[in-house]
Amino acid sequence: MPKIKKKRLGFVIDMTPMVDVTFLLLTFFMFTAKFKTEAEAEQKFVIKRPYASADTSKLPDKDIAIIKVGIDTLTGDTSYYYTIVNELQRRQVYDNLNFTPEQRKPQLKVGLDMLDQLIMQTRITGPRTRFAIDGDRRIRYKWIEDAIDVLRKNNATAFNFVTEKRQ
Amino acid sequence: MAGGGGGLELPERQRRGKKHSKRKKKKRVGFRIDMTPMVDIVFLLLTFFMYTTTMVTPQVMEISVPKEVEENVEVNQANLFTLYVRGDGKLFFSMGTDEPQPLALSDLRSKAVELNLLRKNKLITAFKPSPDAPYGVVVQVLDILNQAEAEIIRQLQAEGIKRERKFAFVKLSPEEVEKLKGL
Repeated sequence: MPKIKKKRLGFVIDMTPMVDVTFLLLTFFMFTAKFKTEAEAEQKFVIKRPYASADTSKLPDKDIAIIKVGIDTLTGDTSYYYTIVNELQRRQVYDNLNFTPEQRKPQLKVGLDMLDQLIMQTRITGPRTRFAIDGDRRIRYKWIEDAIDVLRKNNATAFNFVTEKRQ
Repeated sequence: MAGGGGGLELPERQRRGKKHSKRKKKKRVGFRIDMTPMVDIVFLLLTFFMYTTTMVTPQVMEISVPKEVEENVEVNQANLFTLYVRGDGKLFFSMGTDEPQPLALSDLRSKAVELNLLRKNKLITAFKPSPDAPYGVVVQVLDILNQAEAEIIRQLQAEGIKRERKFAFVKLSPEEVEKLKGL
């Protein structure tokens, strides 16, 4: 009865190039993935960063020293932890301060006086080193205030607070 | 696509074929592997790595402080906007020498924009967090002020004024901390 015969077209798309590109992207991202450093993997404290949504700059990965203020997972105490990212600079600073082998950790638990000395040496060994304060959002502001004072004393007046993107 | 042969075969032809050729029919087994699950997994891995490599670098807020803490700078009180954060995380504000008033975090942004547009570049924002204020709240306040800053720059630019931000961290004295607790 129907005179009009509908022409049925078959769509066949070969997906091979798409899969190739996907594999390429995958290998690219696998190579650029950053894994936890040894220091980060064995750290015994936790830092829940404060939220901020207007920040756009990322934490630099060279020429930087981080003052972490973290809460110990076992005791719940707050403490300063200082880490110089550049290994060569770190060794120089530790040499200058005559540290014993046990003290030469990539992430060192310190008090305010030692922090002061470390920051001073960091600035001497690397004048372009930037500083960042990575604190847990639950700590009292006094810890940060004291850290800022130490930085100010050592002439490091521009620094960063490490934050987390607010969801 | 070629599948198992299916079609109408006339019985006579088959029989005839059998007689003509030698029966060396090798059974050809075709290997057809369906690659769909593999591609699914690859896409999953790809999205995982894409997501995590961008998430792993933390972001930072840039702060700069003056080297010397200048005590008692002469300031026109009418242009002074002071923000306090108490130990329990509550916010207070005061203009000039007025009594500190409570301020909700959600109102901070509009307040900051309003005052800055009123006084333009003459307004000085003094931030006085109490030493026992939670650091998270301090950063939230700074974040909101940064967000407000974007809007202020835009509005002032519309009026032809170049924005000069005047902001300072000021230490809270013990008496002021006590006073704040009583509010």
